[in-house]
Amino acid sequence: MDIAGRSDVGRVRGNNEDSFKLLPELNLFVLSDGMGGEAHGEVASALAVETITQHCLEASKNPGLPMEGEPRLDLSEKSNRLLSAVRIANRKIYDQAQADASKKGMGATVVAVWVDGERMCVAHVGDSRAYLLRAGDLQQLTEDHSLVAEQVRRGILTRQQADQSKNQSVLLRALGIDETVDADGAEHVLIDGDVVVLCSDGLDRMVTDPEIASAILTSGGSESTVERLIELALENGGEDNVTVVVLRVQKVHDGFLLRLWRWLNGPLDEDS
Amino acid sequence: MKLILKFEETTLKEIGLGERPVSIGRGPDNDIHIDNLAVSTHHAKIYKDAGRVIIEDLNSLNGTFMNNQRITKSFLKMGDKILIGKHHIMLDDTISGDAPVAAPKVSAPKIQETVMLDAKARKALLDQALAAQAAGGGTAAPAAGAPRAGGTAVQPPVPPRVKVPTLAVIAGKTDQPEYQLTGKLIVIGKSDMATIKLRGWFKPKVAAQITKRDDGFYIGKGDKVPSVNGIPITGPTRLNEGDIIEIAGVKMNFNFRE
Repeated sequence: MDIAGRSDVGRVRGNNEDSFKLLPELNLFVLSDGMGGEAHGEVASALAVETITQHCLEASKNPGLPMEGEPRLDLSEKSNRLLSAVRIANRKIYDQAQADASKKGMGATVVAVWVDGERMCVAHVGDSRAYLLRAGDLQQLTEDHSLVAEQVRRGILTRQQADQSKNQSVLLRALGIDETVDADGAEHVLIDGDVVVLCSDGLDRMVTDPEIASAILTSGGSESTVERLIELALENGGEDNVTVVVLRVQKVHDGFLLRLWRWLNGPLDEDS
Repeated sequence: MKLILKFEETTLKEIGLGERPVSIGRGPDNDIHIDNLAVSTHHAKIYKDAGRVIIEDLNSLNGTFMNNQRITKSFLKMGDKILIGKHHIMLDDTISGDAPVAAPKVSAPKIQETVMLDAKARKALLDQALAAQAAGGGTAAPAAGAPRAGGTAVQPPVPPRVKVPTLAVIAGKTDQPEYQLTGKLIVIGKSDMATIKLRGWFKPKVAAQITKRDDGFYIGKGDKVPSVNGIPITGPTRLNEGDIIEIAGVKMNFNFRE
């Protein structure tokens, strides 16, 4: 996998409340957009990415690490671990916000993916997004937990009205607001040539889906894709912090003969 | 809620109006700084009081005008034109104007600043949205992913009929005779994670996929190019009721089931 990520403060804001962390050793990638007065948005988003990556790292060494929340039987263990990490992050942010009056209202969105072979686990809360570009077609994998997205789902607003709405910043779910959080989890299969993009709303509010798709298709690697997407967000106004993580799934040779060869060589591999 | 500073037809600045007063004047310490000698150092201020917006002239030399009348203190509404020197200021209160939903009183958000609603506010807001939908005769069926937030979100009013998009297998080897389409990305292939699991040797991991968009379900290619009603697709193709999909030796019928 070819992985890159970058965060930019944008052209309007004085501070960057986004955080992200890439753990290529686990194939775990987490992005969070914080909110709250003073510098508390930064605190919340940093706490989210740290807590999630830490919990997953610990779990990779100690699979018996207790999980938080009800397990989802329709999802793999890794997805459940990731959801557990998101719930723990929620509790940590909530506890900090409750303990310190000045941090009241502090919160964060999160989108996290954990790639496990051909399986990709996606967990998210809020309006940070995961996109998949496959066969030239861009698809948003996550459903925004925002008021306008809910209104679109219910047929109250059209997508176009939603894009112009002044209510775009109203979230229905976020980390740190309530004692528990309802985190969305899903699993997808990855194939050769897939490109996954994680972003904060500073990208998708500035750059349209077709622009995102064409930027991915015309950039060579993940690094240049990230640069191009951030450049577009800034060109179109850069009204918010913008953070982009790109994963390009490169050719995984798992044809029949290769699998046979691996199978024949399996025991040798374990010895070495 | 925000204030817009204009010079002739050009918008110079937009500034959110929160709980803190917004000051206007020639001095650089003002929130809205107008560099023009007709403007006093501290010329006027705009602030919220008990849910209403008030503009107050601060004994300026050349005065503050609202709708061509000199004022000292007045309520400010949408559409009112404030003139200070040669600059106009207008109130933009469209926070709820574009949607049939009243802005939550609990946390009137400043533009561009993300706000989150706690369980109570969320319920109030969704209640309003639903009431508006009922009143406005919203047509779309509630999405399958209606809010499940901690048991606090409201349930949609009982819809007359819920239509579930379904793929029924007509021919070919799959693990089920019929599939209900839920989620944003539905994979047809041999993968364990495929919703529609193909059986047999040499079937691709991801033969094709169906994606859910605002206006319906689209089929797109994976390792194979699917056909819809006998015609190979050239790009993502919207599925209509009754369409016949053929992919990797499997034939399926797309329908909405009640």
